[in-house]
Amino acid sequence: MGWVRSTASFRTDFQFTGFAPTIPTVNPSPVDQFDVAALLEASQPQPRIPWTWYAIGAGIFLAILNRMLAGQSAQIDAALNAVCAIAMAGVLFTLMAISVSGVRAVRSQHQRLDAAAEMIQLRRWPEAAMTLRHLLSEPAKTQPFRTQALVYFSVILARYDRFDDAIAVQEHLLDHEQLDPGSAFGLGIGRAMAMLRQDRLFDADRAISELRRAPGAGDSGGLALLEIYRDVKTGHPVEAIEIFDKKWKLLRDQLGHRVGDAWGLIARAHDLLGHEEQARQAVNNATLLTPPAELLRRYPELEKLTGRYTPAPMPAI
Amino acid sequence: MLTAEAAIHRTRRDLMLGIALKVLMPLAVFGCFLVGSESLRLFMLFGVIGGWVALGLSSVRRAQLVAMSPSLIAAGRFEEAEQQIDQAILAFSPFSAAKLRPLHHLALLRHAQRRWQETALLCRELLGHRRNVLRGLSNPARLILTDALLEMGDVRGAYDALTILHREKMSLAEILHLTLLQLDYSARIGAWRSMVENMPGKLQFVELMPTDAAALAQALLGLAARKLGREDWAKWLGDRARLLADAQPLMDQRPMLRELWNSDAPGAGQG
Repeated sequence: MGWVRSTASFRTDFQFTGFAPTIPTVNPSPVDQFDVAALLEASQPQPRIPWTWYAIGAGIFLAILNRMLAGQSAQIDAALNAVCAIAMAGVLFTLMAISVSGVRAVRSQHQRLDAAAEMIQLRRWPEAAMTLRHLLSEPAKTQPFRTQALVYFSVILARYDRFDDAIAVQEHLLDHEQLDPGSAFGLGIGRAMAMLRQDRLFDADRAISELRRAPGAGDSGGLALLEIYRDVKTGHPVEAIEIFDKKWKLLRDQLGHRVGDAWGLIARAHDLLGHEEQARQAVNNATLLTPPAELLRRYPELEKLTGRYTPAPMPAI
Repeated sequence: MLTAEAAIHRTRRDLMLGIALKVLMPLAVFGCFLVGSESLRLFMLFGVIGGWVALGLSSVRRAQLVAMSPSLIAAGRFEEAEQQIDQAILAFSPFSAAKLRPLHHLALLRHAQRRWQETALLCRELLGHRRNVLRGLSNPARLILTDALLEMGDVRGAYDALTILHREKMSLAEILHLTLLQLDYSARIGAWRSMVENMPGKLQFVELMPTDAAALAQALLGLAARKLGREDWAKWLGDRARLLADAQPLMDQRPMLRELWNSDAPGAGQG
């Protein structure tokens, strides 16, 4: 059966968005020179020129002109009709061309934004950062586009540990943009996480309290992870473990591989309580899902586990 | 509730009517300049254009309504989604995209309901249209067609669909779906060696998948590793899969996975 044997020829290097996946690297931060306030200003959409109304006005003007000048002679009438028809056709054609050009510009911006989103998912941080800087350096064609670009930008800033700027962008979005409840909730979680990283514990606790009052908060794995982090950071390991035990399935189902973060934090909680065996198992589970270096980058508090528990080894290729 | 056959029949009928209208429309506009007095011509012209604009606005309103149905399907609210989709399919629109999109959503719904025969029927109907008419529906339809064919045991049909998909330009989400389908297909035909080729690259994709898909993909990779005698990889991948999903439902879904876990000592779990 030839078609069975030919499965070995299935490609593994897929053609999409022009780049192939690589092992993620973090270069020296490309965002160090980003002026966040300037980008927030530059990306504001500019008022649109009301071409349609101008076209309608031109059409009415031509119709009135035609009426006023008509009736002098048959030749003048014919000439006037021809001029008016050509002018109307010109106005309509120009309007169509402007519309088509506008739609193409919007589509191009959205394609670049989608590419930036994919770069973020693939952890190609430098490319994503530069793409978003270019997009935010010019006026956005639409407000929803700008909102989405700024959400991605806040993720990049947090990734490069520019937490103050990430919080500034998130608060700008929460205060000034119309967000759907789900997006606002996700942004709130990101902001509270950045506050915890900045040791702004009081602000983070207040933000978490606000998030808990949102509809559906009890079913949020992201909020559960945030609360576990807060409890581990503030020295409340028992509470962290309680949340984990209660919301384990939620964390697993919603966070995917990021549930490794929860395991890492629970390892620290058990370690604080002297539960060595549970801590060892939790470190094993955490490092099965997430490389140890990445866990330490996200949660510096886990540094205290280094050297005391062995990460799960990855098999040799 | 519309059956797949009824939905297809209705869509085909409306597409034919839409084509007829698109041919008659310029003729009607031209005819307005030939018949009757000047005021009657103007009245007829406004009537024709106004009718076309009304049809367009109605299509846009229905498209906005049915745009919610994928979210409803993802949330498990199948009855609500079915109602919206049925309304959109039964309503007339002269625009092909407005008729094909609800059909695609019906295929998504049947796929979520695990009604594979109807899913395959609807996807094949969609894929029978020209690419420029499908407008971004071609890849998603072919992906769920492949999944349905695999579930129905039509491995040859799935292979044909996979071959076409590998030539297409795809988004990241589509690539992730395709990766899982390719692993599933390879496992069903016992192509274990091809499954473990380029493991680091595949794992990078697998880690981006939704939880259930990531668990299944890693379980299948673990089974392939076991078949090739790589017990270290089999255990590592099996343990990762069990951290993401319960083993029993995965084994119920893919009985071949019993070989991966039934011979394992208790490994990773809830600690």
